[in-house]
Amino acid sequence: MTTKVSGLDFSKLTLLDALDLAVLIEEEAMDRYRELAEQLEVHNTHAAAKFFRFMERNEAKHREALLTQRTARFADAPRHVRREMIFDIEAPEYDEARTFMSLRAALEVSMRSETKAREFFESALAQISDSEVRTLFAELRDEEIEHQGLVQKELDKVGSGAPGDPEDYADEPVSH
Amino acid sequence: MTTVQLTSKDFKSNLKPIWCPGCGDFGVVQGIYRALASIGRPPHEIAFVSGIGCSSRIPGYTTAYGFNTVHGRALPIAQGIKLANPELLVLVAGGDGDGFSIGGGHVPHAIRRNPDLTYLVMDNQIYGLTKGQLSPTSACGLKTVTSPHGAIEHPVNPLLYVLSYGAGFVAQATPADMAGMTAIIEEAIRYPGFSFVNVQSPCVTYGEDHQQVKAHRTAMKTLASMGHDPSDRMRAFELASHYGEQLYTGVFYRNPNPPPTYGALVKERQAALAGGLPRERILESFIQR
Amino acid sequence: MTTQTESMHPPATDLVIGMAGSGGDGIVSAGESLIAAAAAEGYHAMMTKSFGSQIRGGESSCRVRIGTSALHNPGGILDVAVALNWEDFLRFGAELPVSSQTVVIYEKATNVAPDQLPLGGVHPTDVFAVPIEEIARKAAGTDLAKNTVVLGLLAGWFDLAPDAILRGIRKRFAKKSAELVQNNEKAFQSGIDYAKANPLRQARPLARVSRSTAGLMLLDGNDMCAAASLFAGCEFFGGYPITPSTEIMQYLSREIWRYGGAVLQAEDEIAGIGAAVGASFAGKKSMTATSGPGMSLKTEMLGLASIAELPLVVVNVMRGGPSTGLPTKPEQSDLFQAAFSGHGDVLRPILAPTSVADTFRVTVEAFNLAEHYQTPVMILSDQEIAQRKETVDAIDTSRFEVLHRRVPTGAELESYERFRATESGISPISHPGMQGGNYLAAGIEHNDKGDPTVSGKIHARMNEKRFRKLDPLRHRQDLFAIEGDADAPLALIAWGSVAGVCRESLARVRASGLRAKLLVPTLLWPIAEGVYQDFLASVQAGLVVELSHQGQLYRMLRMQVDVPRGLKSLTRSGANPFLPSEIAQRLEQLAIDLQSRVSDQKGEG
Ligand SMILES: Cc1ncc(C[n+]2csc(CCOP(=O)(O)OP(=O)(O)O)c2C)c(N)n1
Ligand code: SF4
Repeated sequence: MTTKVSGLDFSKLTLLDALDLAVLIEEEAMDRYRELAEQLEVHNTHAAAKFFRFMERNEAKHREALLTQRTARFADAPRHVRREMIFDIEAPEYDEARTFMSLRAALEVSMRSETKAREFFESALAQISDSEVRTLFAELRDEEIEHQGLVQKELDKVGSGAPGDPEDYADEPVSH
Repeated sequence: MTTVQLTSKDFKSNLKPIWCPGCGDFGVVQGIYRALASIGRPPHEIAFVSGIGCSSRIPGYTTAYGFNTVHGRALPIAQGIKLANPELLVLVAGGDGDGFSIGGGHVPHAIRRNPDLTYLVMDNQIYGLTKGQLSPTSACGLKTVTSPHGAIEHPVNPLLYVLSYGAGFVAQATPADMAGMTAIIEEAIRYPGFSFVNVQSPCVTYGEDHQQVKAHRTAMKTLASMGHDPSDRMRAFELASHYGEQLYTGVFYRNPNPPPTYGALVKERQAALAGGLPRERILESFIQR
Repeated sequence: MTTQTESMHPPATDLVIGMAGSGGDGIVSAGESLIAAAAAEGYHAMMTKSFGSQIRGGESSCRVRIGTSALHNPGGILDVAVALNWEDFLRFGAELPVSSQTVVIYEKATNVAPDQLPLGGVHPTDVFAVPIEEIARKAAGTDLAKNTVVLGLLAGWFDLAPDAILRGIRKRFAKKSAELVQNNEKAFQSGIDYAKANPLRQARPLARVSRSTAGLMLLDGNDMCAAASLFAGCEFFGGYPITPSTEIMQYLSREIWRYGGAVLQAEDEIAGIGAAVGASFAGKKSMTATSGPGMSLKTEMLGLASIAELPLVVVNVMRGGPSTGLPTKPEQSDLFQAAFSGHGDVLRPILAPTSVADTFRVTVEAFNLAEHYQTPVMILSDQEIAQRKETVDAIDTSRFEVLHRRVPTGAELESYERFRATESGISPISHPGMQGGNYLAAGIEHNDKGDPTVSGKIHARMNEKRFRKLDPLRHRQDLFAIEGDADAPLALIAWGSVAGVCRESLARVRASGLRAKLLVPTLLWPIAEGVYQDFLASVQAGLVVELSHQGQLYRMLRMQVDVPRGLKSLTRSGANPFLPSEIAQRLEQLAIDLQSRVSDQKGEG
């Protein structure tokens, strides 16, 4: 966790900072899903790209909701937490996309991210003393658990009967 | 020189990368955005120069002035830029083939001039752009399309290469540790002089399994965790000699007393010699007296 | 000299002296003294040097031409030949041609009898076996002073600026010791005395000139090119040493810093031009210079500068090729390379100077074209022009316009596109540091913004733009010199150092009554079809004269211009310079052939 957030002391985290951090975590995830979707779109990997676009919109909604909460409570009080302080908390890793990846593989990416996020909030909770912040982080953790459930449902729908390795059917890469 | 409050987004261009999804270079470019944001120089004061290769596409994905040149020649071009305008922040990037095969002859000379620029090699131990041929950093025995029976030559060690020519800042990083890599890139840029970062940036399409980001996460070992003192050049040599066997990340060597840069010496010379005949009277020195 | 001989024969207005020896003889420094003295007296003078391949101690020669009016070339057959030993002299073959009219002066200690000279059947009437070494030893106490004795001999026999030579000797040796000055003064005087005691059969004193020497310069083509680049605003030079271009880098390494510029001696030619390309990208006027093998290495970067539309001046001081070829001799065999090297559809302007003086104009023009059209521009100089020293009349630099690249205005930077389509094909060019001008320069094809593309449509459009922007060049009449009779049926076309030889040939044939003309292109590529077409309209016979085996300009003209059938190629590989007399004879022959053709046709009719 320490490598994921820099310059913040969780034991002294205020509600304002916690909300801002939460907004940024969602924003980072939103951006990353968009980037991964773009990578896949450029490489004509449509089903997975579509799912990542869906996730991008989801994260955008969560971000929006948290932002509303923040504005209601703190109006435009200055932000102390910056995007540059966090790394890949809920966002999938940069190397998660693959050309021709299946929808199932995309769902698995998202499952890993939700799990990762849940673990983050859990370990953060262990350090936080402020009760309002605790409530917020607990809510966020529960949301991740809920998302994990949703993703699992999708995974069940897709089924495990994989249609084979897409690479076996694809053209050779093109050289430049 | 301007420094302003900037974010990563200010450095991200509208061009969509065409790297293979999962390519290590995606992480590297993100790390560069962050490092540049933290340095705070606006994009128009940055010149980002590369050669040719998958990795060399990187300047186009930033909002800096980019120059995607020809295979192997990024360093000479970058030195011209830096000499022409020493105020610019100059970044150079490319692949292991670009930097240590076709362009290998330029590296020692850049080092001996000590221009204040940062050279990032995205080392994937393979030729990506041309589809998976042997690279100068490929392991001996590696089977590729041009070494179908296994390579019978030994790899170049990029870290020892630059260390032995006297580079003042030598580091290694991997996008498997984004925070660590970003910090190293930032530190390299801040170093006043020639700085080199070997970024182990995996090729998902042609790279070996043990060279992928996931494998790096378990294999990497930070030099800091080993208590390495980056001012200890001899120890740096020793540690760097494990390239290819151990994935050490962090700063191998940082010259504690950076010598004057090429640019500084050039400026000194220009100042010392300033005030010749005005350009329009330049021919007067040939008049017979 | 004596007024008596002057009254008997009109004084010479032009004297060509060739001297050869081994490096230790100091024959080239004697030439340097001679030309400096001639310049100081107000003569027009020119000196070329030629060497064997040894770094020191090999054979060396120089050719000094001194005249009372403007000179266009180092001259043809020698009026005076000085041989300190015959082996060395003969190694220069056609570079030092003699005739029966040549005054031959040689070292007596070579033990060659005056009627047994190894000159392939040529029997000069004035031959002097001078005990040069012995005179030197007697006068200066050392036979090392041979070259000073030679200067005395020349001053004595030809009344060649003796006072100025003496001043030069004093200046040269004053740095060492008073004794040395005295010894050399004595050696010089002994030479003069020997000449007076042994007069020429027919005295040939050089006529005096009376013109102001104010502003008169003495320099070689490489120094001129380098100085002109500074005048044109050059701020960066990247290069790698190679004969015979290195002096350009050496000059700039001394001087460019004073103007806030820099020189980078690169690790190879690729890096040299690379750094220059980089400096240009960064907004500075920049240049590289090289020769033969170095030019071959620079090819890929030329293409990069073309597609990225970066201004760059590239000087190729041509020497004999291919490969290492003849590193110390001139040749005009790199024109194809300049025009066609590198892959892809590309057009880069090529300019050639015809003399040291002309090198100023051409270099400034090259920078102007490069900056205005945002393109690499090649200057094809050659070993002769680059290393020949000549007197150059004062150049009024205020007559020269200096152009700069068109940078985007503040308003244009609001929505800037680096390669924006414009009517002229020239798009304003930004550089790092300019807010709002950020773009990606690249070797890969790009769209208007500069973003990479693989679209064939955009590629075609950009190719068209890169060619279209250079269209106006083909109408630059001022980049062509035409001399002689406008409607003449006889013509010469020549470029580079050969143009100066042809100028003299043209003057000769016209003086003998032939109607002829000469075209000298400064712009070699792109071919200005219209200019050639107009020039050739009246031409029935003529020669494109080139110092190469193939005759590359001739072939390029055949590609692009309807040349009359009577226009032929006259070529010769490098190191065997054309003589003004031989080209004149060729023209006379062409005139005779034309005549007989005309009368044949009349007969048939
Ligand atoms: C002069 C020249 N030779 C060969 C090539 C073809 N080429 C392009 S990139 C490349 C090597 C790519 O490998 P590397 O530099 O390691 O970069 P990567 O693609 O792996 O990032 C080669 C051989 C070229 N563009 N130019
Ligand atoms: S081929 Fe390899 S190096 Fe190139 S973009 Fe694909 S993954 Fe990256």
